[in-house]
Amino acid sequence: MKKGFIRYSLAMMALAGLLSGCAQGNGQSSEGANNTSGAKTEGTSAAGGEGTVKIAVAGPMTGDNSEYGIGFTNAAKLMADQWNAQGGVLGKQIEIVPYDDKNTSEEATTIAQKIVSDGDISGIIGHFSSGVCMTAAPIYQENKIIEISPSASHPDYSKIGNYIFRNNTVISKEGAASVDIAVHDLKKKNIGIISIMTDWGTNTSGIIKDLITGLNDPNVKVVAHEEVMEGSDDYTPAITKLNEAGADVVICCGMYNLVAPVAKQYKNINPDISIVGFSNAYSQQLIQLGGQAVEGVCFPVIFFSESDDADVKAYVDEYKKVYGNSPSALTSQAYDSVGILLTAMKEAGTTDSEKVRDKLNEITYKGVTGNIKFNEQGDVDKQFNKVTIKDGKFVKMN
Amino acid sequence: MIAQQIFNGLALGMGYALIAVGYSLVFGILRLVNFSHGSVYAFGAQMAMVFIGLRFGVIPGLIASMVLTGVLGVAIDKLALEPLRKKKSIPIASLITTIGISNIVTNLLIVAFGSEKRAFPPLFDFGTLQIGKIVVSSTQIGMFVVSLILMLLLVGIVFYTKIGLAMRAAEQNPKAANLMGINVNFVISFTFFLSGISASIAGSLVGSYYQIVYPNMGFMAGLKAFAAAVLGGIGSLPGAIIGGLIVGVSESMAATVLGSTYRDSMAFIILIIVLIVRPNGLFGKKGITKV
Repeated sequence: MKKGFIRYSLAMMALAGLLSGCAQGNGQSSEGANNTSGAKTEGTSAAGGEGTVKIAVAGPMTGDNSEYGIGFTNAAKLMADQWNAQGGVLGKQIEIVPYDDKNTSEEATTIAQKIVSDGDISGIIGHFSSGVCMTAAPIYQENKIIEISPSASHPDYSKIGNYIFRNNTVISKEGAASVDIAVHDLKKKNIGIISIMTDWGTNTSGIIKDLITGLNDPNVKVVAHEEVMEGSDDYTPAITKLNEAGADVVICCGMYNLVAPVAKQYKNINPDISIVGFSNAYSQQLIQLGGQAVEGVCFPVIFFSESDDADVKAYVDEYKKVYGNSPSALTSQAYDSVGILLTAMKEAGTTDSEKVRDKLNEITYKGVTGNIKFNEQGDVDKQFNKVTIKDGKFVKMN
Repeated sequence: MIAQQIFNGLALGMGYALIAVGYSLVFGILRLVNFSHGSVYAFGAQMAMVFIGLRFGVIPGLIASMVLTGVLGVAIDKLALEPLRKKKSIPIASLITTIGISNIVTNLLIVAFGSEKRAFPPLFDFGTLQIGKIVVSSTQIGMFVVSLILMLLLVGIVFYTKIGLAMRAAEQNPKAANLMGINVNFVISFTFFLSGISASIAGSLVGSYYQIVYPNMGFMAGLKAFAAAVLGGIGSLPGAIIGGLIVGVSESMAATVLGSTYRDSMAFIILIIVLIVRPNGLFGKKGITKV
């Protein structure tokens, strides 16, 4: 049996490798089929591949985080369609090329190398999680290709080089907003932290701890911190520990697929718990999955789809019309990322990376996620809205 | 806290136990580790979600999912495994085939439903019960009761019915069983049907416990349940239940004592220790080497 088990394990590994190969093609084809609006841009490329400006969207199109990658692609195509309707950029049509990295560093490296060796991609929107971005970014930097991540928030990401940008706030800013909600808006003192075990999660929880120490308030303290595996579904052991430690608010460092089950399982044990998340939990899925349990969950967001701003409204309506659901915050940041990249190309009058990069550093772009102005690091600064869930809807906190 | 954590672990372990039963069932007859079981489990859970969502009502929805998942089990056997048996191919070929099927089923589910997590209705939602300092939810009790009933039923089928006798005969010697007038292929398909049904029950229960289902849910759970089945002695149904509970409790304890970081490795550490001490698992029979 023992010998057999080793054999089985080897076989499993070999097959897991094979699977990742197959699933990629799979994901890309279904991606194309899913998006009606994609047909237009893809049609253009078939007509004349030379006459298009290609922008790659790299993110998880399959796997656990696929809704983000698909959201990025949808948003990018929406933006490209709007430009194409007005004649494209530099007299050429814009083509969005999706790449599926499954949110793994291995795939991301392969994709980065493929993009670099193909040489016809003018810029990359992506990747999704900070850790994955940070493995791919050095390849882009070395080959002078512009990467704008709509989602990476790890402080070290944009330090990788001067071709590496992000259209997302650095996590310390967002962390400060989350801590502010927990301590000042909800007036809680005993803070529990639950974080996913990724580069981002570990780093974020560290930042939260530092921020709370930095408050210099003797009453406010972190009572417990638990790290959990993303996607393990069962968080009760961690929750039991947090509850025993006497947490009255839990800061959830993870996406909606962590926040929803944690809220459910926590409220079974302690119905009075308050939960604070981050902007990456802002997704319609959170309400669908969490139902009653996510009522009262609070988090800071940059983009709020129920906003009164006319531009935001027009964009949300258009997105809903084409894809049938409202865009999430990160999706909207992808939308703006494409916008600013195209604007920089237009103003630079070329797709030459160096000139476009200089332009990116100069311009201020008014997008649906606020005014975007990259600093010398390639980071942006944005204003946060505080959002909570009430009666199954996202509403602004007062 | 320790008592609560043990209880959390028991509930988690019941989920593994339910999946492990399916591994043991097929292994008991075919001496084949059916690695597609994890994906069949995810399929069962998705189908239950779909049928309950279609306003079938909870019970008819679950029954529809059980039948359909059972049929999927039979289809897997008929389409992929039976041809291999007929060609008398080496056992490793069937094994690889089941891994392949697992990927096919999972990826087809992703194509059909997308990879995102979806909400699953709670099946036993009667609130929570507090015993001393321990909080027990009705879903946990429901999982316990259903797992026990399922195991008793399966033991009953295998040891006290005619088809069960045929199953055991086919296990001991397929050729001789065939000569005695047993339709071995039918018996095997029936076994796959049973394992499909148990997978669907497991998927629905675990889905309703966490109120989440997604196509990839069977991967890690399937591997851990396999560890549980081997731990209890693969082929033994009570062993699968005990193995599942041990894996669940040790995971929960690992999370408490060492931190949540260590819980995923715990199932396999225990598996290796048990296999060194008792190579046949806790309840495993000493294997008779077949030539």
